[in-house]
Amino acid sequence: MKKNSFFLIFGCIALALLVIFWYSVELHIPLLIEIAFIIGIVSVYLAKRKVTDSIEDERDVKITEQATIRTMQVFWVVFCAFSIGAVMQVLHIPTFPREPLGSRPPDLLGPRMMGYIQLGLLCLMIFLYVGFRIYYAKKYGDFETDEE
Amino acid sequence: MKNKIKIFRAMHNLTQEDLARAIGVNRQTILAIEKEKYIPSLDLAFKISRYFGVNIEEVFIFDERTPTIASG
Repeated sequence: MKKNSFFLIFGCIALALLVIFWYSVELHIPLLIEIAFIIGIVSVYLAKRKVTDSIEDERDVKITEQATIRTMQVFWVVFCAFSIGAVMQVLHIPTFPREPLGSRPPDLLGPRMMGYIQLGLLCLMIFLYVGFRIYYAKKYGDFETDEE
Repeated sequence: MKNKIKIFRAMHNLTQEDLARAIGVNRQTILAIEKEKYIPSLDLAFKISRYFGVNIEEVFIFDERTPTIASG
């Protein structure tokens, strides 16, 4: 398979996922988009393996590896910070002086708020990865030009 | 890590694309190595030097003063 054919398939899968996402929201069935997303990603991986006119060499692997490591290094700190905050909300601590039990309901994060935060984290992860990928691609000579 | 790939390519009348195809990497990787932006693995360094029919030390020159860009 040619590289351009792969990009075409990738675009079609992305479009299909967008439609399924919208359909899933309309019907209030989150499982639909979750299953579709997994199938979509597996399909992209399988299609990528069929590409013949593009070589993934050790430099590409190195760029991907470095970008992934750096993304995870930053992301886990943000994710843990959010998670610790969420756990504290669940445990309803610290509140000094501690209020009598039942005087105020625990200030839990609602499902909608959780969704927004998850969306923010997802966007952060994507931006971090793309940013680090560009940085390492530049570092390892991806944008270098030559006379040839 | 300095290298003489460009010189050896000129001696063998090879383009970056030819060399890249012969050793199974992208042209951009050959360019990055030539420009000293990327230090190849030992495996790739051996492949390049074997392709030119010389020892690895003749193509790649280890320079202790040059900071390694491969780390971080």
